[in-house]
Amino acid sequence: MALTAVPKKRPLPGRPGKPGKPEKQGKPGLTGKRGLPYLLIAPAGLLMLGFIAYPMLSVLYYSLQHYNVTKPWRNGFAGLDNFREIFFEDPLFWQTLAFSAKWVVAEVGLQLVFGLALALIVNQTFVGRGIARALVFSPWAVSGVLTTTIWILLYNPSTGLSRYLADAGIGEYGTSVLSDTGTVFWAAVLAELWRGVPFFAILILADLQSISKDLYEAASVDGAGRFRQFWHITLPHLKDAIILSTLLRAVWEFNNVDLLYTLTGGGPAGVTTTLPLYVANTGIEGHDFGYASALTTVAFVILLFCSILYLRLSKFGGDDK
Amino acid sequence: MTALPVAPAPTAPGPPPRKPRTIRPRDTPQPRPTNTQTETHDQERDSTMSGNNSRRPRARTLLALGISASLALTATACGGSGTETGSEGEGEGKIVFWDNNGGVRTEVWKKIITEFEKENPEIDVEYVGIPIADVQSKYDTAIQGGGDSLPDVGMVGTAYLANMVAQGALDPVGDRIEDSPLKGKLVNGMVESVKAAGGEKDQMFTVPTSANQGVLWYRKDMFDKADLPAPDTWENFYRAAEELTDRENNQFGFTIRGGAGSVAQALEMMYAQSGIESFWDGDRTTVNDPKNVEALEKYVALYNEYTPKADLNNDFTKMVATFTGGEVGMLQHNLGSYTDHVKAFGEERIGGLPMPPSSEGGPRTLVSNPVDGMGLFKSSGNKAAAWKFIEFAASAEMNSLWNESAGAIPAHTDAADDEWINKAEPTKAAMESLDDPNTKIVQLPYYLPDWNSISKADTEPNFQKLLLGRMTAEEFADDLAKRLNEAQVEWSEQKG
Repeated sequence: MALTAVPKKRPLPGRPGKPGKPEKQGKPGLTGKRGLPYLLIAPAGLLMLGFIAYPMLSVLYYSLQHYNVTKPWRNGFAGLDNFREIFFEDPLFWQTLAFSAKWVVAEVGLQLVFGLALALIVNQTFVGRGIARALVFSPWAVSGVLTTTIWILLYNPSTGLSRYLADAGIGEYGTSVLSDTGTVFWAAVLAELWRGVPFFAILILADLQSISKDLYEAASVDGAGRFRQFWHITLPHLKDAIILSTLLRAVWEFNNVDLLYTLTGGGPAGVTTTLPLYVANTGIEGHDFGYASALTTVAFVILLFCSILYLRLSKFGGDDK
Repeated sequence: MTALPVAPAPTAPGPPPRKPRTIRPRDTPQPRPTNTQTETHDQERDSTMSGNNSRRPRARTLLALGISASLALTATACGGSGTETGSEGEGEGKIVFWDNNGGVRTEVWKKIITEFEKENPEIDVEYVGIPIADVQSKYDTAIQGGGDSLPDVGMVGTAYLANMVAQGALDPVGDRIEDSPLKGKLVNGMVESVKAAGGEKDQMFTVPTSANQGVLWYRKDMFDKADLPAPDTWENFYRAAEELTDRENNQFGFTIRGGAGSVAQALEMMYAQSGIESFWDGDRTTVNDPKNVEALEKYVALYNEYTPKADLNNDFTKMVATFTGGEVGMLQHNLGSYTDHVKAFGEERIGGLPMPPSSEGGPRTLVSNPVDGMGLFKSSGNKAAAWKFIEFAASAEMNSLWNESAGAIPAHTDAADDEWINKAEPTKAAMESLDDPNTKIVQLPYYLPDWNSISKADTEPNFQKLLLGRMTAEEFADDLAKRLNEAQVEWSEQKG
C-alpha cells in the first residue's frame, strides 16, 4: 500500500505568531487550560500511585531487606543478599520457575487451540447458536475458587469419577488423579483449561466478526478451500488478537495461585508448586517477607522481559505486508 | 556442619529444601534510598522527555512529588508493628472478638456472648469468626498493618502463640489472673503449656480455655463385625488396620494424613510408639532417634497398603470426610473432630482411645497438643472491658459449655467434673490419660518462631515424598532434625 508523506508541521497561513513560538493558551496553573488535563487525570494518577506504584515500590523495598515478622532480630538491610540466594543457593526457585514455564506453555497453548476452535464453531450460523455461545462462555463467569471446588468434587475418591469407575470395575477404589504425581499435572491443566478456554473464544470471536465477508467470497471465487481461507484470511486477521490474548493469558497463568493453591496446594510432594505459590508459602507460611519480595521482584522482571521479547518477535501491531 | 542428608532420587520432581540462609544482624545500616532513586528516575525521565525544554521544570516537580509520595508511602508500609500500646478504657462500649475457628465454633460463641451481654449490658461484643486455616495469616496481616485492625480479644492457640508474642501483639495476662476469680482455677498443665509456648519464661500471654489430645478414633461396629479388639495396643492397631482392609470392596483399615498438618500427627505416632520421653536431648532433637525412625517406618508403611491412595493429599477436612464417609476403620486425630464423628455415626458406633503406650502395660508418651486460649491485645483501647469478657468466657460455666460443644478438655478446674465429660468417653479417656502420673508428655517446641514453617511449608512436601517412597524415613527425620536443631540454636542465642 502506498503511503502519502505527511508534511512537517508548520504555521497555518493567516494565523498570528512567530513560527516555533507556542501560542498563549489561557492562564497558567491548575485552573487554566494548560492545567486542566493534569487535573482531569489526577484521580486516575492517584489511584495508580496508590494501587500500582505503592505496592510495587513496597515490594522492591522489602526485597532489599531481611524481613521476617517472627524474627525481628534478623531484620535489617540485606542489599542484594536475597537475590544472590535466589540465583545461587535456592534450588526451589529454579524448580518452581521451570514448573511455571511448563504450566504457562501447556495452558496457553491448549487454551488457544481450543478457544480458536470453539470461536470458529460458534461463529458459524446454526440452530441454537445463542445457547452454544452461552455454554462456551459460561465457565469464564465462574470464580477460580469455585472452579476448584467443582473439580475437587470431580476428582474426589469417594464422590468423584474415580469412585464410579471403580464401581464399574475400572481402576481401584480410594484413588485420585490429584494424589498421583504422574497425573496431577494434567488433572490441574484440565481444570484450568475449562476455565481459560472461554477467554480465548470470546476475544477471537469478537475479532472474527470484524472480518469482511467479501474477502471470503472473493477467495471462494478464486477457488480457495476452507483451509486456505482460514490460513490466508482468518489467521492473519486474528494475529494481533492472538498475540495480545496469549500475552495476557501467559501473564495470568504465570501468576496463577487460586486454582493450584486450592486444588493441589502445590503438591503432592511439591510437584505442582509454581513460583507464585512458592512466594506465597515463603511469605505466608514462612513469614519471610523479605525473601518473598525478592522472589516477586525476580518474577516481575522475568515476566517483563519475556513480554517485551514476545511483542518484539511477534511484531505486534505491525503491518504484515 | 554435616552434609544435608536429604537425597531425593534424581528423578524426583519434588523441590528439595532451600539451603540455610546466612543473614546479617539487624544492626546493619538501613538504606536511605531517596536521593539515589530520585536521581535515577530523573535521569530516566530526562532521557525520555520529548524535547519540550520549557516544560521540564514543571514535569520534574511533578515527578519528584510523585516519587516522594511513593517513597513516603513505602516508608509507612514498614512502620506498623501492632505493638502500639492501647489503654484500659472505661470498661464499657464495644469490643471486638476474633474466634480462631469461625464457623465450627460460631454457635457456642454466640451463646457465650449473649450471656455476657446480659450480665454486662454496657459492653457490646462484636464477634468475628476466622476460618482456622487462615487465622495465623489474619493475625499477622493485622499486626503488620499497625494494629488498628486487631481485635481487643482473640482466641490464640499455642501453635502460633510464639509468633504473636515475638511481634509484641499481646499483653501479658499473668498479673490480671492473679487479681481475678480465675486465680488457682486453671489446670496447671495448660498454664505451663501456655507459658512454655509463649517463649518468654514465666510470662503468660493467653488465658487457657481448652486442651486437645490425640485420639485413635475407631468404628466400633466394624471392629465388632470383624471380631477385633479395640486398638488399645500398637499390636491391636496394626492388626486391625490390616484385617479391616478390603480394597476390592472399598474398605480400608486406616486413613492417614498425608497433606496439610501431616507432620504433627506423624510426630504423635512416632513418640507414642517409641516411648522417647523428651523432644530434646540437650540442644539436639530426638526426632531422628533410631527408635523414632523405626516407628515412622511402620506408620508410613500403612499408606496405600491399608489406606486409600488418595490419602496423600489428606488435610483435616479430607481425612475426616474419608473416615465419616463410612469406608474406613480407624483415624488418628484429636478430640476436635469428635462432634463430626458423632454426627456421622452416632455415639454408639464410634470409639476414641488415647495413643496406646509404647509397650503393653507401660506408660504412655503423649505429644503435647496445642492449648487454646484467649489473648488480650496490646493495641486494644478498651482493655478493661476486654478483660471482663475474657474472665467471663473462661469461667467454669462458660468454659464447660464451650468444651462440651468442642469435645475438648476444659481448662477451668471446676468444669472438669461436669456431667457431660463422664458421658463423652473419648474426652474422659483423654483426661484420664493426661492425669495419669505415669504418662509422659513430650512438649513440642511451639516456642520456636520457625516451628510452624518447619513443620508445615518446609517438611510437609517431604512427608509426601516419604509416603511415595521417594525418601526414606531416616532421610526425612534427619532433615527435620537438622532444621529444628538450627532453629533451636538460633532461639537459644537470642533468648540467652
